[in-house]
Amino acid sequence: MPKLKKRRLGFVLDMTPLVDITFLLLTFFMLTAKFKSEAETQQRFTIVRPQATADTSRLPDKDLAIIKIGIDTLTGDTAYYYEMTNETDWFQVIGGLEQYQQIGQGQRIRQIRAGLQELDELIRRTRIVRPTTRFAIDADRRVRYKWVEELMEVLRQNRATVFNFVTDRRPPENPPM
Amino acid sequence: MGVADFSGEAKRERRGSTRRRKKMRRLRYRLDMTPLVDIAFLLLTFFMLTTTLITPQVMEMTIPPERTQVEVRQSDLLTLQIRSDGKVFYNLGTDAPQPITLKDLESLAVRENVRLKNRLITVLKASPNVAYGTVITVLDVLNRAEVQIAEQLAREGLRRERRFAIAPMTPEEEQALAQL
Repeated sequence: MPKLKKRRLGFVLDMTPLVDITFLLLTFFMLTAKFKSEAETQQRFTIVRPQATADTSRLPDKDLAIIKIGIDTLTGDTAYYYEMTNETDWFQVIGGLEQYQQIGQGQRIRQIRAGLQELDELIRRTRIVRPTTRFAIDADRRVRYKWVEELMEVLRQNRATVFNFVTDRRPPENPPM
Repeated sequence: MGVADFSGEAKRERRGSTRRRKKMRRLRYRLDMTPLVDIAFLLLTFFMLTTTLITPQVMEMTIPPERTQVEVRQSDLLTLQIRSDGKVFYNLGTDAPQPITLKDLESLAVRENVRLKNRLITVLKASPNVAYGTVITVLDVLNRAEVQIAEQLAREGLRRERRFAIAPMTPEEEQALAQL
């Protein structure tokens, strides 16, 4: 009989450590979370980046100009897209160009599709506005190399001779050879 | 009514008495933490699932500022060519291009660079029609070789100076490669 009585007794679990850890993790993830940039929300393509062996180099997030070569998900055509992380510089760069004048005032467009000639103009203006701007080429691994080659030629003409290729970390179990 | 009121008053008076108050304070109360924990876990799950901890990395490239013709010794030149189907060919100096696998390319780059001690100039020519990903893979292999080269040269007391160039492929070269 006493055994039965014991079973009926409710028990209280101390949740304090659990809640502590949960909040700790929550704070960590909340603070490290990085949200999509405005430019990324406007793009209509996803870039399948080429893979390279893991190293410590990281894409700088300050004063960066990114030239994307993406394949449109709907139409499947390849094009160059230009964006900059520094907002002030960005509006200065596109504000001075006639074809983008209305962009600066009205809508907040953060990424523009550009041809090679426009890219040349954009890169030149970027170099004038802030000569220390770093350039990165973020191209889809499936595009033809011709696109990258022509872009490098434009960069060369504008004396932007140091730039970065954006890559993804290659998983160690999948070596290049 | 009056009686009830009166009794209520009397009760309040009794509650207000010091002895009673002490007893009330000593009472433990339990806060139900379930909703708090629910929300905390919900947010935790959301942030854990939406964050990508791996930021993209970069591969730095430097290109010469101008298209200048520099005279170099043919024997110091290692030319790598990537055909439109992704096959890699190499030749030293004026030799005929030979096909090479990526695995062999790494050891070749290490061997030749160590042999010529920083004099070797690697030139990469990629066909305009090859997938960009292939070019990055070859660059990646060369970067991997760089670690070993620096290590082996350091053993001989030399500092590694990388000499690398990326050049466009001429239509003639492309045609020659297609026949191989």
